[in-house]
This record gives sequence, structure tokens and C-alpha cells, in this order.
Amino acid sequence: MGYYDLDDILADSSKFACRFNYELPGLGYLEGNPGKPVGKHSKVELPLWLASVLATVTGEQEHVDEEALPFVEFLPPEMFSARVVNAIKADAPTLDVHSINGHFYALGTRWAALFSDAGLAGMLAGMVLERALEVQRHAASAAVEATAPTDATARMLQTLDEWERQLYRRAHAASRDAKLWAARR
Amino acid sequence: MYGDVANKLVLEAKRTDHLANGSATLQLPMFQDEMVRVILKEVSQLQRNAEYLKLQEDSGKLSKCQYFVTMLCMERNKRCLLAYQKTRSEILDAIAWENNGLDTMDLLSNKGHDSGNLSPYEQEYLREYSQLISDLTAGELMDIDLAGSLTPPSDVFIDVRVLKDAGEIQTEYGVFNLIKDSQFFVRQADVERLIQQGYLQKL
Repeated sequence: MGYYDLDDILADSSKFACRFNYELPGLGYLEGNPGKPVGKHSKVELPLWLASVLATVTGEQEHVDEEALPFVEFLPPEMFSARVVNAIKADAPTLDVHSINGHFYALGTRWAALFSDAGLAGMLAGMVLERALEVQRHAASAAVEATAPTDATARMLQTLDEWERQLYRRAHAASRDAKLWAARR
Repeated sequence: MYGDVANKLVLEAKRTDHLANGSATLQLPMFQDEMVRVILKEVSQLQRNAEYLKLQEDSGKLSKCQYFVTMLCMERNKRCLLAYQKTRSEILDAIAWENNGLDTMDLLSNKGHDSGNLSPYEQEYLREYSQLISDLTAGELMDIDLAGSLTPPSDVFIDVRVLKDAGEIQTEYGVFNLIKDSQFFVRQADVERLIQQGYLQKL
């Protein structure tokens, strides 16, 4: 995490479906309609770096008694839909997270922070624990001299999200160092 | 959409990072001059838009939104550009340290292709950073080998083989004449630098 963190930047570029709450002049290019205003209630896929700000800044109050709406509103995203949540609850370690999104955790924590979603945060925390055990098992079982991972490990690596891959690399380096140390005279 | 090219640049930075960490020798792929130029052009266009929008004084929060989005796009492009450059400059730092602040430019141009992978600004950066390191090692810290290996030696004496002719060297234990393909049993501390420079190989 940080201003220069490449993974953080890439996670920020994932697109989310949003709905505009106002008719906004001059923003038609966001929905492939340059020069025209973007219509009220039109659905557009916006990258997170743009959407997260627009979704927290409020426009004008239409009526005095109503709360001012933000410029855009997130639509429920596919990656946290009931289908995915059920799959995580059913069997987190075997889930192919990478096919859902390469930056699942980064986006999940961002999302949970944006909406103060304690349920999602709790679920992610449990998921990390379950999957980290699996990652550690694979990392520790790799032979010291092995240059390429075994087939089973390679398959598992395919299903990891970017953060988990870093975790694997570190776990692997650590277990290799430990084995080398133990093998000394 | 604004920021798409910048995104590609960050992917390139990520590839650069993998390349540098994955292999034993430090290497830097080609500077993406074209992409950087496209992004800079995009930013200056966004800036013109922003200045134009600022002049429109019919304010109201809704029409400010376009101005706001323009600013956000510029911020995003800036972050991507900086991250790309930062990734590369960190590798340049590592290269400079590895060569102990010796004239790295010479080294790069000797290798032939590498110096062509740097932008003019990066070449200047590398030169000045190398200068800083050699100033540091030649100054008060002269007695400390800052570029020395961080792993403690396992033996005091080691076997080395000579890879290139290097003439005579003087050590505490006498004079060695380094002729190609000969072998010596020497104190590691004496020949550390020669191993780094590629004259000797540890056996």
C-alpha cells in the first residue's frame, strides 16, 4: 500500500458498474458519447479511482427535506455477489480467486472501507486465514533445489490473487532458508 | 477513456519489476518513451480543458463535476507516471550500488545495448547517483566497505580461479601473479573486490 505501489494502482483501475444520479454536462465521454451530457440514471462502468471519489461527493439537494445524493451510485458488483460469497463460505481454499479478480483482497478491503461493510470484512479475514494455510502448505512442501513448482502447486498458483502470490513467494523463500539453515553441519 | 494508456504503463512497470527481481543480474527494459509522451499529451489536453472549465462561472455543483473529473484524471495520470519512474529509478539505484559508484555509464555502454534503454534524464540520474556514492565512499566512510557482501563469509581462506589476466596483486601473504586459468588459495577479504569485478571466480 502506498502512492507508488504498482498493485495498488492496478487494483484501482478495476471497473465497477455505477449509476449516475444526476444529468451531468460534458461527461458523455465516460459512456462513449463525447460532447453530450451523461444522462440521469444511465449505467456506466467506471474505474475505481474515479468512481470511489464520485460516489462519496454529494451533488445538490433537489428538495430541502431529502438528503443530497452522491454524483454516482455503485451497483452491486459481480465480485461480491451472493454467488461468490456462497462459494467462499462453502470452500474458500479451492476457490479460483484469480478468475474473479486479480486484486480481490485489495478491492475487498477498499469496498469494505467505503461502505463500512463489517460483514464483508469479516468474511475476507476468515477467507485469508483459510487460504493462507493452503498457500503455506504448498510453499513448505517445495523441495529446496526445485527451480519450478510442481504441477499441483502451479495449478494452485493460478488461482491465487496478486497478494496471495506475494505471500507464496515469501513463504517459499522463508521455508527454503529454514531448510538450508537446518542442513548446515 | 482517459488513463487507459497510463494503465498500460503501470503494467509495463510491473513487468520491469518482475524482470529485475527474477533474474540474478540487474537489467532494465527499454524506456517507454512513446507511451510517456502520449500520457503527457493527454495531461496537457486535460489541463487546457480544466482551464477552460474554470472560466465558466455558472458554478452550481453539477457543472463543477466535469471540472472535478478532469482534475481526477490528471491526478491519476500523474500517479501512474511517477510510479513507473520510481520503479525504474529504484533499479538504477541498485545498479549504481552494485558497481560501487564506479563510472556506471561506461559500464553500461560497454555492455552495448543497456545504455540505450535509459532515457536521457535517467542517464543523468544514474551518473549523479553514482557520483553521490563515490563521494560517500571516498569521504569520511573511506574505511568501511559499503558495497561489501552482506552474507558473512563461511571460511577465511578460499580457492579461487582466475578468469581474466589481472597482473600482480600484493597481499599480506605475498604476491600473486594472476594469470588466466590458474588457481590460488587466498584470504577471502583480499580478493573480494576482484571477485566482484569478475576477475576471479570462487570455487
